[in-house]
Amino acid sequence: MNFDLDSIFVERGCADAPLTTRVIRAAANRVPIGYVDDARELVKPDRNARDPFGAGKRRMIIARRKTPFLMACPAGSARFACCGYLVLTLASNCPMDCSYCFLQEYLADNPAFQVYANFTDSFDELDQLIRSAPQKHFRVGTGELADSLAFDSMTGMSRDLIEFFAARENLTLEFKTKTDEIENLLAMDPRGRVLVSWTLSTDAVFRGSEHRTAPPSARIKAARAVLDAGYRVAFHFDPLIAYENAERDYVRLIDELLDTVAPKNISFISMGGLRMTPGLRTVARRRFANDPMLCGEDVLASDGRYRTFTPLRVKLFSTLAERFHKCGAEVPAYLCMETAAIHERVFGTAPSRPATIGERLASG
Amino acid sequence: MKSTEVENRIRQLAAERRLPATHLERWLAIDQPSRTRLLEITETLKLRTGQIVAAIDTLDEIAVREQVTIADILDRPDLRRTLKSAGSTPARASALIDQLRAMRFPLLRAMQSRLVLEIAALKLPRGIAVVLPHELGSDELTVSITAHSGAEFERMLASLEIKKTGLMRVIEMLGGKQ
Repeated sequence: MNFDLDSIFVERGCADAPLTTRVIRAAANRVPIGYVDDARELVKPDRNARDPFGAGKRRMIIARRKTPFLMACPAGSARFACCGYLVLTLASNCPMDCSYCFLQEYLADNPAFQVYANFTDSFDELDQLIRSAPQKHFRVGTGELADSLAFDSMTGMSRDLIEFFAARENLTLEFKTKTDEIENLLAMDPRGRVLVSWTLSTDAVFRGSEHRTAPPSARIKAARAVLDAGYRVAFHFDPLIAYENAERDYVRLIDELLDTVAPKNISFISMGGLRMTPGLRTVARRRFANDPMLCGEDVLASDGRYRTFTPLRVKLFSTLAERFHKCGAEVPAYLCMETAAIHERVFGTAPSRPATIGERLASG
Repeated sequence: MKSTEVENRIRQLAAERRLPATHLERWLAIDQPSRTRLLEITETLKLRTGQIVAAIDTLDEIAVREQVTIADILDRPDLRRTLKSAGSTPARASALIDQLRAMRFPLLRAMQSRLVLEIAALKLPRGIAVVLPHELGSDELTVSITAHSGAEFERMLASLEIKKTGLMRVIEMLGGKQ
């Protein structure tokens, strides 16, 4: 996939970093490159732009990350049954533009597409994590504040990451993506320690809401290819959007998936309903005024987010869970940002503790 | 009515009602027939500021959801009947907003009606209240007992025991079971 960039700015302190060299080589005179002492001002939104957030996505900043790379998933909360996911922030923002994306609010004040030239410093943090709990198995993902693979053909980050994780028994790396950019992955041996997960949406959601992403069928095809290359695969049905005929379309999507990837080869699936804070909803409706997917039967739920009203949302979860249940192999599944009670309604059992789920998903 | 005349009247009305600037902007951005029809209805029903805001928000979302114009929505027979009904102007205004909400959330309204009927069919004694979550935004059912003596409390508990299956059905419905 090719994504447009308007400009690339490099902090002078990062000019000689291997990542910078790769990006500049890949940009090959197609994108103007500037050098600055401090990129902090460039990270901020351009208030004169018609769409400051959209403009930020096309302004790549290569800078040094000064805060820790590793953190707990920001979606986690004691209110929800969580999955114990750890997030490695190696980049911030995404060249794709999904109408429902939480980054529109989360990164509103710093929307530039930042890539951290010192990303290999995160390896020290990960080694420290392993040392702190040598008996545990951790699932660490790079796809929370950015798509894990969207610019991989430019940055080549995946190669360094795979090499690092392949050598560590109690870490599992999760690349989370909506692209089919897997060329670098196919050239590496993950030794079973790298998982690639795709967010899967129906064609209707893809066409209406997931701008510049790969079509769902291309994502499934890419999953098959990385599976054959020795990677584990997983799928996120998140956000599930309860539009008219959604149940039918999601079941067809699962059928298409299971025709290509056998259930026994799916490490896990996750499901989450469309959820938007009032602030996100306002921004999303302003940026994508004609997207019907943003105008579902969403009500203000007790956690302060707009969600599809509960019976309809839970019915959709249950339909998908049932479809996987019928496929013959037990596919591990969890819900994202839902309560333990909803988990029990959908799966018939109470969820385990986040750390336990995290470890189970990590170790496969 | 000429386009400029409509715009002037909308601006005047917005100033009188202190309509938020964002909503005035959105009203003026609507296609000409829709903008005009909304103005006529606002004037006829003397919509209050909050009602104008609700109407603009709800109509916009219905239009996007159903891929129709706001004028198309306002010309639907149900709404026209409300506009021409015999009730007072404030009552018709309130009914209009309620109908727009029902159009915006058809499945939610249907589900709420079914749940209300289920609860009514239980014929619970006075003193036991079953409260559905606001706009079905959660799966929590609240059952409260108001009693003034131990004997009364015991009678109510016994009644709840008898109605247990029905109440459980309501809870299951809140969790998406048909």
